[in-house]
Amino acid sequence: MKQNSLENKSGNKQAAELAAKRANVPPALQQKANDFLNSSPVNTKALKQMVNLLENPDSNAVGIMYVLEVIFRNLLKRKLISTAENKKSKGNAQAKPQEPNATCQIQYNKAWSLLLANLGNTSKEEAGGALKVCMQLIAAEAKHSSSNAWPVTRLRSILEALINAEATPTAALAEFAKFTRCLDVLQFTYQLLPGLAPKSFVDTPNLAFNYLAIINVLDLGKTVLNDKQFHIGPESTFDYERTRQLLNKVWSGVIASCNGVDEKVHRQVLVVLLERILPHLKDPILLTDFLMDSLHQFDGPIALLALQGIFTLMQKQNITYPDVYQKLYNMFYPRMFYNKYKARLFYLADIFLTSTHLPENLVAAFAKRLARLALKSPTEDAIIMIRFICNLLLRHTGLQRLICATGAASVAEIADPYDETELDPVKAGALQSSLWELVLLQKHAVPEVANAAKFINKSLPMVEFDLSSLLEIKECNIFDDEVKKEVKQFTMAYERPTNFALPQYDIVTKYWDIL
Amino acid sequence: MGVKAKKSNADAVYSKKSGKTSNPFDSAISQTSKRLNPFDVHVNKEKFKILGRICKHDRGLPGVSRAKALKKRAETIGKQYEVKHKTNKFRDHRIGKHLTGEQLTESVMNARYLAEKLSQVRASNKAQKFNLNDDELLTHRGQTLEEIEKYRDERSDDEELEDEGLDAEFTSAAHFGGGADATQDRQTAIEEMISEQKRRKIEIAKDKDEVHDLTEKLDANYKDLLSLVAKATKDEQIAKPPPDDYDKLLKEMIFEPRGSVTDKLIKPEDLAKQEAARLEQLENERLRRMKADDEQPETTVQPHRSADDLDDGYFATGIEDDADDTLAYDLDGNLGTHLNSKKDTSKVQSNDKSEDGSDDEGGEEDDDEEEESDSDSESEADNLSDLKATDSEPDSESEQAPQPKKTKSKSQKQKVSETIETSIPYTIKMPKTYEDFAELLAKYTPAQQVTVVERIIKCNHPKLEGVNREDVVKLFGFLLHYIKDMFEDASELDIGSHFKLVSQLMPHLHDLVHLNIDRMSNTLLDVIKEKYAEFRKNHKIYSTLDTLIYFKIVSNLYSTSDFRHPLATPTYIFMQHMLSRARVRTRQDIAMGLFVVTIALEFGSRSKRLLPAIFNFLQGIVHMAIPKRQQERVEIAPPFEQDGPFSKLLAIPVTSDTKALQPQKLQPADLVTQTIDVDFRVRALDSTLCLLKQIFEEQMGEHTGACYLAAPFLPLIEQLPMNLYPEHVQQHCAEAKSTLKSVAEQKMKPLAPPDKKPKALRLLEPRFEMVYDDKRRPKMSKQKEERAKLLHKIKREKKGAIREIRRDTAFVQDLRLKQQIQSDNERREKVKRIYQEASVQQGELNELARAKKRKKF
Repeated sequence: MKQNSLENKSGNKQAAELAAKRANVPPALQQKANDFLNSSPVNTKALKQMVNLLENPDSNAVGIMYVLEVIFRNLLKRKLISTAENKKSKGNAQAKPQEPNATCQIQYNKAWSLLLANLGNTSKEEAGGALKVCMQLIAAEAKHSSSNAWPVTRLRSILEALINAEATPTAALAEFAKFTRCLDVLQFTYQLLPGLAPKSFVDTPNLAFNYLAIINVLDLGKTVLNDKQFHIGPESTFDYERTRQLLNKVWSGVIASCNGVDEKVHRQVLVVLLERILPHLKDPILLTDFLMDSLHQFDGPIALLALQGIFTLMQKQNITYPDVYQKLYNMFYPRMFYNKYKARLFYLADIFLTSTHLPENLVAAFAKRLARLALKSPTEDAIIMIRFICNLLLRHTGLQRLICATGAASVAEIADPYDETELDPVKAGALQSSLWELVLLQKHAVPEVANAAKFINKSLPMVEFDLSSLLEIKECNIFDDEVKKEVKQFTMAYERPTNFALPQYDIVTKYWDIL
Repeated sequence: MGVKAKKSNADAVYSKKSGKTSNPFDSAISQTSKRLNPFDVHVNKEKFKILGRICKHDRGLPGVSRAKALKKRAETIGKQYEVKHKTNKFRDHRIGKHLTGEQLTESVMNARYLAEKLSQVRASNKAQKFNLNDDELLTHRGQTLEEIEKYRDERSDDEELEDEGLDAEFTSAAHFGGGADATQDRQTAIEEMISEQKRRKIEIAKDKDEVHDLTEKLDANYKDLLSLVAKATKDEQIAKPPPDDYDKLLKEMIFEPRGSVTDKLIKPEDLAKQEAARLEQLENERLRRMKADDEQPETTVQPHRSADDLDDGYFATGIEDDADDTLAYDLDGNLGTHLNSKKDTSKVQSNDKSEDGSDDEGGEEDDDEEEESDSDSESEADNLSDLKATDSEPDSESEQAPQPKKTKSKSQKQKVSETIETSIPYTIKMPKTYEDFAELLAKYTPAQQVTVVERIIKCNHPKLEGVNREDVVKLFGFLLHYIKDMFEDASELDIGSHFKLVSQLMPHLHDLVHLNIDRMSNTLLDVIKEKYAEFRKNHKIYSTLDTLIYFKIVSNLYSTSDFRHPLATPTYIFMQHMLSRARVRTRQDIAMGLFVVTIALEFGSRSKRLLPAIFNFLQGIVHMAIPKRQQERVEIAPPFEQDGPFSKLLAIPVTSDTKALQPQKLQPADLVTQTIDVDFRVRALDSTLCLLKQIFEEQMGEHTGACYLAAPFLPLIEQLPMNLYPEHVQQHCAEAKSTLKSVAEQKMKPLAPPDKKPKALRLLEPRFEMVYDDKRRPKMSKQKEERAKLLHKIKREKKGAIREIRRDTAFVQDLRLKQQIQSDNERREKVKRIYQEASVQQGELNELARAKKRKKF
C-alpha cells in the first residue's frame, strides 16, 4: 500500500513537471504543487490558497489552471473527491465525517466555477486553456467515478457558460471544436442543447448567437464519424440515428424561435443550417418557406446564404424555383465586394452557370455584368471575374461572339446595347454587345489584372481556369506576391526632378498648393 | 697558309651569296626530296564510285611498305631465328640495365660506379683493402684525365683545322704534273717530298709560337692601355659645346610625360544632338517597358495589304509614329525634349568654363568629374563652386531650386541666405545614427537643411572613399526617416514648410538614389512594405501622411510607367487598396484620398493606365457634395456610405454664401485638419471636377470602353446644386459635364480578333532516306547488331593475322633458303679448292714422274 503511494508520488511529481512544461508555470508554484501532492494527509489550506490564486486577475492564469488540473486529477484518483454523480447519490450525510474530503470537494467546485468564468475570457490562451482543463477534468471524473457514468452535468455547465458569455467566446469555441470531434461529446452536447436553448432569440440575440455558434461547432460530417474518436474510454457508445434525432429536435427549436430575429442572428442561423444541419435533416423540404422568406425579404449576405440553401434543395429535393437566375444576377452589384460571403457567391454562380443548356443571352448578361463589375472591383475580384468570364466563354461557345464579331457586324461603331439597369438578365440585350470592358481592363494598373484580361487577344485556352484557388486570394496577397518577385530592376525616371513637381505631366502640384 | 685559308673561306662565302641570286633552278624541287615517285605508287582501281564509302586503299606504296615490313621482320623474327638453338647469351647485369638514353641519369651512373668499385674491393686481396691512395686512373675515351688536362690548348684552335695531308700544289704537281720532272727518279722525288713536309711543319710551329708570344704580350699590356682609353672618352665629353635652347627644348620634349588622350572638343550643336539621342533612346526603352514584353504589336489594326504586296515598305509603317509619340511640344511648337537638352548642354558648358578656371587648385578632383555622366556633371560643378568660391554661392543656390514663388522676395532671401550660409561648415561628417542626423538638421532653418543635406552628400560621395558607399545608403534611410518624422504628426502651421523642404530635397534624393540604385530602392521598398503592413492591420483608416509622401517620392524618382515595376506596382496596389477600403469621414480623409488620386494619376500619366479605385473615389466625392434629404438614398459603392451624415459631408448648406470665393487649389493644411468648412467643400468639389475633366481628356478618353468609367458620373453631377457654387466652379462643372458626356457617348466597334496572317503553303521538300547503304539487311535489335559487328571485326582480324603468319613463315623460309644457299656455296668453294689443290698436287706428281722418266731415258 505504501509502496503504491510512493509510486504514486513520484508519478505525481512527473505529472506536475510535465504540466509545468506545457505551460510556463512559475517554479515557485510548481514547487508548491509538488509539496502539496507529496504530503500524505491533504493540506487543505494549501489547496485553498492555490484555488484562490485563480481568482487573482493578474496572476499567471494559464499556469495555475494547468497546475490545478494536475492536482485535482490526482485527488480524483485518490478518491478524495467524489464525482458529481456520486455526491448526489450519497448526499450530505456522508461528507461530514471526512473533514478534509469535504474541503477538497468545496475547493473543487469552486475551481470549476472559476474555470467556467474564465471561458468567456477574451485572452485566447486563458479561455482555450480553461476549456481544455475542464474537458480533462471531465475525463478524469469519468475514469475514477465508481459508476463509470459520463459526467453530463459538467458538460452542461460548460455549455451554459458558453451560451451565457457576454461576447462570443471564440477562443473557447475553437478549443471546444477540437473536443466535439469526439463522438461521445458530440452526442451528449446534442442531447443537452434543446434544454439550453435561450427562451427568446429576439430578446437575447447574444445568447442566441452563442447558442448557434455552439451548433456551428458540432460537425456530424463523414470524416468525424469515420474517425471514431471518443473522449472517455472506448466503451462509450454512439448512435448516429439517435444523434440525428437530437439534431432535428435542436433545429426545430431554433426554427420555432427565429421569427423576427435581427440580421446577425439570422445570418448565423443560415450559416449553421447550411454547414451543419441541412445534410442531416429528416425533412429538408420544410425549409423551403424559411429560405424563400429569407431570400425575398433580405438582400446581401442573407439572401445569398438562402440562395445557397435553395440550391441544395434544388439538387437534393428537386424543388423548382424559376427566378433563381434572376435572383443570382441581381446579387452582382458593386457593394457585393465588401461583403463577407463574396467567395460563396462566386462559387455558387460558378455552379449555377455550369449547365450548358442555359440560354445564351442569359449567360451573356452574366458575362457583361461581371465585366462591368471588374471595372469597379478590388484587384483580386477583378482577376476572379475575368477568369470566370473566360470560363463562361469556353462553356458556351456561342458567347464567343462577344469577343469576335463576325465580319459585317465588326465594321459599324455602336454604343453598347447592353442595359445595365435591366433586372431581367434575359432582356438586358447582352448578346448584341461586346466585351469592351476587357479591352479597358487590359489597361489596368496592376499587371496581374492586365495580363488576365489579355486572353481575348489570343486563342482561348483549352481547359477552364480553376476558380477555387483564386477565391482564397486577398488584396494583401497580391501585394506580397508583387514584392516577393525575385528579379528586381529598379528603373529610374530619367528626368531629374527639381522640386516636388514632375518635370513633365505633373498633376499633384496642379491641384495642390504645395510649392 | 693562313691567308690562303681566309681567301678560300671568303670564296666560299661569295660563292654562296652569288649562287643564291643566280641559280635559276633554286626553286626547283630536287629529285631526292620527299616526293612520291609516280612509279612507286600503286593505284587500286575502283569499278564503281559509291557515295559515302570511305576507301582507304585507293592508292598505296607497295615497295615502301614491303621494305618496312621486311625490316620489321628482320628485327624481330630474324633476330629470333638467329639465336634459335643457341644456348649462350649476352646479358647486361649492370644497374639500370633497362634504362636507355635520357633515363640514364647521373645518379644511375654513380650507382654503377660504386657497385663496380665494391665488387673490385671484394675481389681484391686483403692488403688492398687498406690502401688509401687510389691507384685507379679514370679515363675518358681511353685517355687518362690527367693527360687531357695537360695537353689542353688555351689558345684558339682555328689553326688546327688545317689538314695535315699533302699540299694541294704538291699533289697536283706530283700526280698530274706531266713530264717536267719526269727526269728525276722516284726515290729522290719522295725524299724531296718528305723533307718539304717536315720543313712546313716546323714553319707552322714557329708561326704558332710567334703568334702565341705576341698575344701574351698584348694581354700583358692591355691593363696599361685601359686607363688611357677611359681618359680619352672623358676628355671628349668636356669638349662638347654647351647645349643651346633648341637642344634643351628637344630634350624636354623627349622626356616630357605624354598627355593622356582626351575627347576632342564637341560643338554645342553636336552635344545637343547627342543629348537628344540619349533622351530618345531612354524614352524608347521606357515605352518598351510600358507595354509589357508579351504584348503583341499586332493588336493595333494593320492597314490592309494585298497578298501580292512585296515587303518593300514594311518597315516604313509604324516606327516613325512611335518616335513621334515620345516627343513633347511646348507652346512655341518646339520639341520639348530638344529644348531641355539644349538648356542642359548650355549649363554643362558654363560649368565647364568655371571648371577650367579653377583647374589649378582642384586638379585631383578633375578625374572624378570626367567620369561623371552628363547629368551629374552639373551638380558636381556646383560642388566645386560651393567649395571654393564663396561669393558665387547665392547665385548657384537660386539656380538650383528655381521656384516661381520665391522670386518675389528674392533679394531679401538672398541676404538672409548669405548671412546664414557662412555658419554652415563646408564639410559635414556623416552622422552615425539617426538621432545625430536629426539633431544636426534641427540646428538649421529649413532652407539651410537642404544645403546641409547637399553638403553631406558631396562630402560623402562614394567616389571619394569606398566606405561612403554604405554611408550614402544610410543617409538615404535617414532622410526617409526624417520625412516620416516631419509628416507623421505635422500640424496645420508647419505642414507648408515641410512640403517646401521635401520639395527642395527632391533633386538630392534623385541624385542620392542614383549613387546606389539597388540598395536605396530596396530601402524605400522596405519602408513601403512596412507601411502597408501597418495599413493592413486596419484597412478602414487612412495611413499617415508620410506614406503619401513616399508615394510621391516613388512617382518622382522612378519610371512609374513601366508595365511592371518592383516599386511602382506595389505602390499602385497599396493606393488601390487604400482608396477602395479606407473610410472617408473627415476633411483629412477626403484630402488624403484626393492626394492619393492625384499621385495615382501621375503614375499613369504616361502609360495611361487606370486604377479603378480612383473613379470610385471621385464618384464618392461628387456623391458627398449632393445634398440629400432624410431617407433619400443615392447608389454609391463603399467605402462611401449611401445614407446618413457621412453621405453628405461636402454638401454646402443653402444659406451659406459662397459666391465670393476665389478659385483656389487644395491646401496642404487640408491634409491635417479634421473639421470641414465651406471653403474646403467648394475647393474639393472644384478640384474633383477639374480632375475629371483632365482624366477623361488626357488619360482615359482614348481608351475603348472609357464610356463605362465616365457614365456613372453623369447622373451624380446632374444632381449637384450648381446655383449655390461660385462662378468658376459652375464653369468647371459645365466643362467636366461636356467632357464626360462626349466620352460616355463613345461608340465602339465590336471586338474582333486581330486578322490572322495567312498561313504559308507547306513547301514540299524531297524526303531523304537516312540509310544510304544499298545492302538491305534485315533489321536487327541493337544487341544483335552489336554482336554482328563484333563478329565481322573478328573475322577480319583473323584474316589479317593469318596473312601475317603466312608472311612470317615465308620470311623465315627465305632466311633458311639463303642460309642453305650460302652454306652450299661455301661447300662448293671448299670442294673446288680441294680439287684444285689435289690437281696441283697431281700435276706436281706427274711432273716429278715425267722428270724421272726423262732421267731414265
